[in-house]
This record gives sequence, structure tokens and C-alpha cells, in this order.
Amino acid sequence: MDMNEIKEIFFQECEEQLAELESGLLKLNDGDRDPETVNAVFRAVHSIKGGAGAFGLDDLVSFAHVFETTLDCVRSNRLEPNQDVLKVMLRSADVLADLTNAARDGGGVDEARSRQLIKELEALANGEMPQPGAPEIAKAVAPAAPAPAVNDDGFQPVAFSFDEFEASEPPAIEPSTYEIVFSPKSELYAKGNDATLLLRDLSRLGEMSIRCDMDRLPALEEMNPEAAYFSWEISLKTEKGEEAIRSVFEFAEWDCDLDVTLVSGDASGAGEELPMHPVPFDLSLLDEEAPSRGESAEEDEEMVSQQRDPRSAAASAAATASNVLQMAQTAARAPLENAKVASTASAAQAAAQQAASAAQPTIRVDLDRVDRLINLVGELVINQAMLSQSVIENDTNGTSSINMGLEELQQLTREIQDSVMAIRAQPVKPVFQRMSRIVREIADMTGKSVRLVTEGENTEVDKTVIDKLAEPLTHMIRNAVDHGLETPEKRVAAGKNPEGTVRLTAKHRSGRIVIELADDGAGINREKVRQKAIDNDLIAADANLSDEEIDNLIFHAGFSTADKISDISGRGVGMDVVKRSIQALGGRINIQSKPGQGSVFIMSLPLTLAVLDGMVVTVANQTLVVPLTAIVETLQPEASAIHSFGASQRLISIRNSFCPLVDVGRILNFRATQANPVEGVALLVESEGGGQRALMVDAIQGQRQVVIKSLEANYTHVPGIAAATILGDGRVALILDVDAIVAASRGQTLKPEMTLAATG
Amino acid sequence: MASRNSAGKPLKLAPVLDLNEATALHNKLLELKGAPIAIDASAVERMGSLCAQVLMAGAKTWEVDQLSFTFAKVSDAFVKATQLIGVDIAPLMAKEI
Repeated sequence: MDMNEIKEIFFQECEEQLAELESGLLKLNDGDRDPETVNAVFRAVHSIKGGAGAFGLDDLVSFAHVFETTLDCVRSNRLEPNQDVLKVMLRSADVLADLTNAARDGGGVDEARSRQLIKELEALANGEMPQPGAPEIAKAVAPAAPAPAVNDDGFQPVAFSFDEFEASEPPAIEPSTYEIVFSPKSELYAKGNDATLLLRDLSRLGEMSIRCDMDRLPALEEMNPEAAYFSWEISLKTEKGEEAIRSVFEFAEWDCDLDVTLVSGDASGAGEELPMHPVPFDLSLLDEEAPSRGESAEEDEEMVSQQRDPRSAAASAAATASNVLQMAQTAARAPLENAKVASTASAAQAAAQQAASAAQPTIRVDLDRVDRLINLVGELVINQAMLSQSVIENDTNGTSSINMGLEELQQLTREIQDSVMAIRAQPVKPVFQRMSRIVREIADMTGKSVRLVTEGENTEVDKTVIDKLAEPLTHMIRNAVDHGLETPEKRVAAGKNPEGTVRLTAKHRSGRIVIELADDGAGINREKVRQKAIDNDLIAADANLSDEEIDNLIFHAGFSTADKISDISGRGVGMDVVKRSIQALGGRINIQSKPGQGSVFIMSLPLTLAVLDGMVVTVANQTLVVPLTAIVETLQPEASAIHSFGASQRLISIRNSFCPLVDVGRILNFRATQANPVEGVALLVESEGGGQRALMVDAIQGQRQVVIKSLEANYTHVPGIAAATILGDGRVALILDVDAIVAASRGQTLKPEMTLAATG
Repeated sequence: MASRNSAGKPLKLAPVLDLNEATALHNKLLELKGAPIAIDASAVERMGSLCAQVLMAGAKTWEVDQLSFTFAKVSDAFVKATQLIGVDIAPLMAKEI
């Protein structure tokens, strides 16, 4: 394992820890006072700090340290986690996430913000926030560890946490001897820590003697070179006190067993029963120690055995005759002992692994591997379709056994496909969790009070969709808080709760995931939107628009109703970007708004981007696939239902309402003249504005599941075409981008050079 | 105790014996198993606990096989590292010739 891999694992773990941290803090915010929750939060910060320390990420370490110190006050009940305290902590969690990201991807963080938070956290840790019963504790704590003032150069680490520190135990000035038992676990090494470095730091604290316990060391073949076998008994004479000792191990605290006991005020107490090697400060010392003894071959061998028994080995400086005798006996015992040691060690290791895996049996798999598998399954599906097609074509007698076999194969492939897709399915929870942070930040900036309610966080959806969901969702949340919700004063004036609510819901509906974002704000000011649209030349001044169409104007590029442009939103890049991202995911977005009651944005997204149920149609001898989700109904137009207006526009009357007729072949430039609607089929599709359009195609071939192949990746982007697929007969068919076609029918023609590409 | 007097196959240790090196070192030692070995630690600049564990496990194994396992040459840093972690390599040092 090289360092980068370890670092990558660390960052992955950080993400998990940050999620843990945030959900823990939110639980506390909701009044959960379970000590386990506090512990979980503390552990999360601590682990991040530990890992960051191992990689020398100093900014991260120093911030995490201050954060941890304050959390520790909560853990030890010295600080009541009330709303105000948790507000600071939630913001700190955000900064911690920023610092982690900065450490991973480079880039800067808002230093002023983190400095400010460090100050606030320190204030909390020092009990500066008036709490019932806190003053006397604060008094006891504050003088013991005065936090260094934060200067403008960056953050300063503060003194180590107070938890191990007893007020009754004054900082030792006289050197005391401590006996330390340090047994690292394999995780310590797995995280890139090295016991040697810890011991080196420890040796700098004072006079140290050490005994390495190698009893657990198995034979070479049986050992795992990356597991921990050594443990140490250390006698340390230092004037720096126990906390200094513990602080050496603080990054490794969770990955080792550590026992520190004060032996006596004066030195040399412990050394007697456990002979130890003094650790010299001076390099030259070893020249004298390096022995040139062991004249005979036998003696040499016994020296080797001595190595295994450290208690005897410790006395090695003077290898007396009795020693040699004793060691010879040890040597005879050795093989037996070895076997025993090896078996117990491996048993212990197995038990530890079992304990670790009992929590949640999951594996991390490289996303590339999953994608490759999905790709292969896609090929399998295509191949299966080709096979059945050729069987049907060549075998008109329809041998039932072949057909049955094919059907089974079809079912199996479908099942395989579903299972493979399920591997990529992930709950939307992480994205939703990120949103709670966005809400907090925007609420802070705008001075509004907002509560985010999330529902259906465990709804699962394809990983790609999740990854691409975060950005549009962020935009929308910002908009909802900045534009949607009123200020507390206005809310009170309108008879509402001063605290606004933003509700984020995810659910499955008919094979798609539906995400709703609802706010209980003022709703869309249609007059203002309309006026703005007229000002921006988006619509004609006398245009007659339905409420729904006005609402949808906010998705136009360059549209913003905010009176002044704020930091948060209002630059007019928001909602059209949102719409494009959602469309790029094969989704739709709708808006419902009630004046005075708020707005609801409804996004409907495919569960996966890899397969699609489509209707295969023919247009001007080209085979196209129309996503089934877009189609409302299909109908055979009658001549009497077709009405022309203007130069080339046509309408079709369906159940007493008119619907524009869109000739797909014309829009994609498949043919030069308009087709006769009566000879074709009309597909009634739901368009982005909520209105319906009738798409004219020549014929419907059938309905089938197709595997999506990206056109951008394999060819180039073609307007009006979303992607491509391979049909059962091996031909490539293009998948129609329904919304683009509808938009084009409104007069925003597809770019000509692109259209040529589409026909070519 | 037969092959005591042979110097053993040489194994030169890498300068940096950190966490990343432990597996490689383990494999190298396993390859040389079954014959006396003389380890050249003269280039070692840094050694972590994992590599120390591997070396000590090697010493133990060689000893069970009754073959010699010696440190022919050591660097100051190597000796210092072993002292720091309380591993006594004195008995494994090669005899002065």
C-alpha cells in the first residue's frame, strides 16, 4: 500500500466521519442527550484529527483539536449542548468539512471564518458562555490550560484537552516516573502511523527505558507484515506530566491500548522487575554497546534465542555462564512456544477482525469496476436482444424449446441488469445532509430563520444521479431560502411562524425518483416575474400567459427577480442551470406555487442513467427511440382534427383542446417538407412548461428497454438527440431529447451545423 | 548447527524501511528462507516498527531452522532505531573478523 492510497482511504473515511458528525450534531440539536451520540460526535472529530496528524495536515489538525476540546467539555458534562452551542458546533463541522476538502483537493478556505469559530469554540471550552453550574468548573479549568491567543497568522493549537487532567494533580515540576504500556493495533499501521515515531516523540519527554514485548510475534511465514505484533513497556522519567505523555499518543488513541501509570516521584522504581533498555539520546553510545562477542557458533545461536525472550535478553550486556545455561533451556522450549504464540496471535487477530466486520459487512469497490460490469451487462442485454431477433427471423416454425430458452435468458438478463444496477444504487442521504449545511449558511447570511425537514433520505438512486443532483439542489435550496422565504418580520406580519420551513422529500414513483423541494414562503410573485420577463424581452408585453407558464419563466436564462443581486442568489444563473442539469440527467422539473403559501419544485429523475424504457419509432426511415416516461398517450390523427394556422403551424384537437403538432422529421431536418399527419402517428408528450405537444412520427415499431450509449462520449453532442442505443438488429438508434424538440418547435431552432450532424 | 560458519546469503536492506517497505521486506526474507543469511543494514536511514517486526520474526524463524541470521553491517540510524523501540540486536550482530 503506498502513501497515496492510504491518504485516499483517509479522505474516504473523513467523509464518513463528517457525515457521522453532522448527523450526531443534528440529533443533539433535536434534544438527543444520549451519551453515545456525544461520543460518536467526539470520535468522528478525533479520528479526523488523528488521520490528519499522520499526514501532516496541520490546518485540519489544529482546527479539529480546538473543536475536539470543546466537544470534550460536552462529553464530560461541563458544557450543556444547548441551541447556541450547537449552532457554533454545526458551523464548525462545516468548516471542518471545508478544511478536509481543501486538504484533499487543494484550494483555500475562509480563514477568517475558521479563526472566528476557533475563538467561539475556545470561549465555549473555557465556559465563557454562562451555564448553570458552569462558573466554578470554568475556574478550575481555565487556569490549568490557558488557551493561547489566536493571532492573525493562522490558528494556533491550544493546550491539550482537559479530560485526563485532574485539577488536584498539579503540573509536575519534579520528574516523576511513569510506567507506560503501549500496544498498537494493526489499524495504527494501516492508517499510516508508525509506533516508532510515537516512541521517538515519547523519548524526547525525558529519560526513557523500554522493553519490547515480542511474545506475539509469529514465525515469518505466518506473519502479516502489516499487522501489529510488538507491544512495549516503557518506563519514562519526565517532568512534563501524564498529559504530555498522553498527548504523544493522541492521534493513535483509538488504535492502540495505552496504559499510563505514575510509579513514583523519584526515579528508577520500575526498572527492577522488568529489565529494560535505556534509550540513549546520544548516538555515539551505541558504539560501545555494539558488541563483538559470541566467539563460538553455539553461543551465537543462543544469542538468537535470547532475542526471543526479552526478559533474558535485557540482561544481555553481561552474558554470564548462568545466563547461557538459562538461554539454552529457553531455546529448547522455543519451537513449542512459537507454535503456541503463533496460534494465539492469529486467533486474536481473527477475533479482532470479526469484531470489526460485525458492524457492517460492506466492501469498498472501485467505481470503475462497477461501471465496467454495468457496461458488460449492457452489452449482454443488447446481445440477448440480437439473439432473440435472429432466432425469430430465421426460425419461423417457432421451436418452442428455443423460444422458452430465450425467454428464460431474457428474464435472467433483466434480473442480472437489475441486480447490477442495485449495486450502484445509493441512498440520497449524503446529498440531503449536505443541503442542511447550505440551509444553515444561507439562513445565517440572510438573517432568516429556517428549518430544513428531510423525508425519504433512504430512497435509493443511481450513484451518477446522486453525484449530479447536488449542484442543482444546492441552487434550488439557495433560491428557496433567499427568494422563497420571507424575513421573520414579514412572516410574523403575514401571521406565519417566524421560522420558515424548507421541506426536502425524496420518493419513488413509477420507476422514477421524485424529489420535491417545498418552502412555505411567499410563493412566486407572478406580476413581478411577468414584468421582469417583459423588461428582459423574454416575452411580448401583451403575451397572454397562464400562471403555470409565468412560473416557468424563472427557468429562463438570465432571469432573476431579486431586486438587488445578493451573494447568494439573484445573479440569474440559478434556475436555468438547475433546469439544464436536471434535463441532462433525463429528468423533468416542475414548479407549483401558491401566493402566500409557498412554492414546490418537483423534480422527476430516472433511477438510472444506464437503461431506459423507450418507444421505438420510425421518422423518415430513421429509427428513433422516445423515452417512455415522456409519452402521455399515442393516437392516430384524423384529418378533421388537424387545424392549420399561420404559415406552417398546425394544431391537433384532442378532446376539445388544441395541442401544437410538432413534426419531428422536420425539426431534425430528416426531410424537407412537412409530413402528412394523417399518415403518421402522434405521440402526446408532456413538455417542460407543463403543456402538452403532439410529436409526429411515421410509425411506432414497438416498446423496449434500451441500453443508453452516450453520444457525447462516442461521437459528439447532437441537439435534439439525448443519446444513442444499439437495437436488437445491431443498428444504432438515436434517443430523442423530447424537451429539446419541443423547445425547437417553439421557434428556438436547433443550430444548423448541429442539425447536419444529426442527419449525417 | 551445521552451517554455522558460512557467512550466509547477503541481503541488503533499503535505506528507508517504513510502513510501505514491510511487505517487500517480508517477501525478500521469505525467498531467502532455508539458508543462512547475512543482512547488510549499512544503508538504512530510517526504520519503522513494521520492518523491525519482520526482521525479528525472521530472526526467530531462522533460529528455529537452526540457521544463522546475522546483521553483517549496520548503520548508526539502524542501531538507533532498534534501541529506540527496545529491540536488542546485539546478539544478532556479526562477529568481527
